[in-house]
Amino acid sequence: MRVMKNKKNLITQNTMIAYMLILPALLVFAIFMFYPLFYTAYLSFFDWNMIKPLKVFVGLDNYKALFSDPLMPLVIKNTVVYILILLILNCAAPYILAFILSFVVKKGRGFYKGAFFLPSVISLVVGSILYLWILNPVSGPAAVAAEFMGINIPIWSKTQGLVIVVLSIITTWKIFGYNFIVIFGGVTGVPQEIIEAAKIDNIPLYKIFFDIVLPMSSATGVYIFIMTIVQGLQYVFTPIKVVTQGGPDNASSNVIYDIYQEGFLLYHTGYASAMSIAAMVLFVILLVIEFRYVEKGIYYEN
Amino acid sequence: MKIDSSLKWHVLLCIALFVSLMPIVFAISTSFKELSEAYGNVLGLIPHNPTMANYLRIFQELPLNQITLNTVIVAFAVTVFKIVTSVMAAYAFVYFNFKGKNLLYIILISTIFIPFTMTMIPNYLIISQIGLRNNIIGVILPQLSDATGIFLIRQAMRSIPLSFIEAARLEQAGIFHIMFGIVLPLAKPAVISTGIMFFINSWNEYVWPVLILKDTANYTLPLALQLFISSEGGTDFCVAMAVSVVTMIIPLGLYLIFQKYIISTFTSSGVKG
Repeated sequence: MRVMKNKKNLITQNTMIAYMLILPALLVFAIFMFYPLFYTAYLSFFDWNMIKPLKVFVGLDNYKALFSDPLMPLVIKNTVVYILILLILNCAAPYILAFILSFVVKKGRGFYKGAFFLPSVISLVVGSILYLWILNPVSGPAAVAAEFMGINIPIWSKTQGLVIVVLSIITTWKIFGYNFIVIFGGVTGVPQEIIEAAKIDNIPLYKIFFDIVLPMSSATGVYIFIMTIVQGLQYVFTPIKVVTQGGPDNASSNVIYDIYQEGFLLYHTGYASAMSIAAMVLFVILLVIEFRYVEKGIYYEN
Repeated sequence: MKIDSSLKWHVLLCIALFVSLMPIVFAISTSFKELSEAYGNVLGLIPHNPTMANYLRIFQELPLNQITLNTVIVAFAVTVFKIVTSVMAAYAFVYFNFKGKNLLYIILISTIFIPFTMTMIPNYLIISQIGLRNNIIGVILPQLSDATGIFLIRQAMRSIPLSFIEAARLEQAGIFHIMFGIVLPLAKPAVISTGIMFFINSWNEYVWPVLILKDTANYTLPLALQLFISSEGGTDFCVAMAVSVVTMIIPLGLYLIFQKYIISTFTSSGVKG
């Protein structure tokens, strides 16, 4: 009896300690993450400009306005195009390079990993400025080098479509290294013997990649797929703000930048909040579908 | 034959490497060029007349010492707070059982996937209300709610054999002894690399400070950098590159020193576990 009581005391005491350990983290999350999320949802039902003392309740009007916003189709299209380019450059490309480095060349792994990761530690504002200079169509290094080959670099900052490509290049510069080393970790988790056996059977490299390596590292693949979208959206604000301010004619604006524009430049606080919530709902749906759909075919490394 | 085929792949890897590292080399080289040379000798990496003028100019035009100090204070405060709270929380998630543990963990971790835009309007209102707009404390606060540290440090703690902890518990070792004597020394590489990454990320933070800081004297380095470019053209790229070098030198240095820890922590940060 006594022992049991002691044990119970110990459990509640332990629970107390555990909560105390989590409390500091939880506190800042409550104030700067959870409360803001709910408050964004709350604001999305009001017409407000951040300054007026009175918020006017408008129900679902802000959400309805999303559908009639003439800019919305363009903004969504830009976001989708940007993410597609990003996925090619930051999922497909590092996957192939990681495969080559872990099973084909094998030499210099440490060097390549360290070097590829290097740009990820540099400020995106620096990255934006570097590319503004390098891709400067008149006097930048890329233009000068291209001139030798008789190619002219178009004035991308004034060209619809191209401006998104440049934004993607800038964020890729930042994201690529992290993706590369995480994918590398996943790819090297595939047992070496399987690959060697396949090579002895003269199975071509592309088949080894698609039929063995890709399915066997798919857990990492899915993680990187999602992180590319998340980080891509987090990061894209900086080059837009620094390089294009959404121009020309909103050709480089996207959902993230438009929320900032509506919220902090036009003071449509309620509308910007509705946009945030709508974007988040879309995003969560995408995540759930992605997990449900891909989960079935996943081979877990551990 | 064998050497031939692997050479081909090395060339491919080196091209990719060239694309990602060349901008940094260009930035450093251009920052030491005179403006006329930057436009005349664009591709030359070693300046004919190396000059410090660009650096001298930025220190004259801006309170760059103050701005650097601001950046250090912000990055340091954010790092210390996040490391301490992340270690504590991760410890609780690994070594204690309590009600709602898994749910709480999942909720915290899923905030990693929430873009900052979703919370920035209320955060702006909170910081304005407590009078911390245009103040570096206001820059620090919202950066503290970040769950990546809890995730990475928990991963590292989980890989420590439980038998070590059981043995210590049998000897009636207290929680402080177990935490500081056993767990932290073994999780040190992950804690260090997480801390370095926190510092670097906070150093580079741009979106939030640009929303709330107004006076140049309160700026952090990435914001100061933005002052030197104009979207209408006419940017003095030599000066802009000098500020870029000043902005990236600390993160680069830290990375080069702690590279081994950082790479190994992130290599194993995938979905395992």
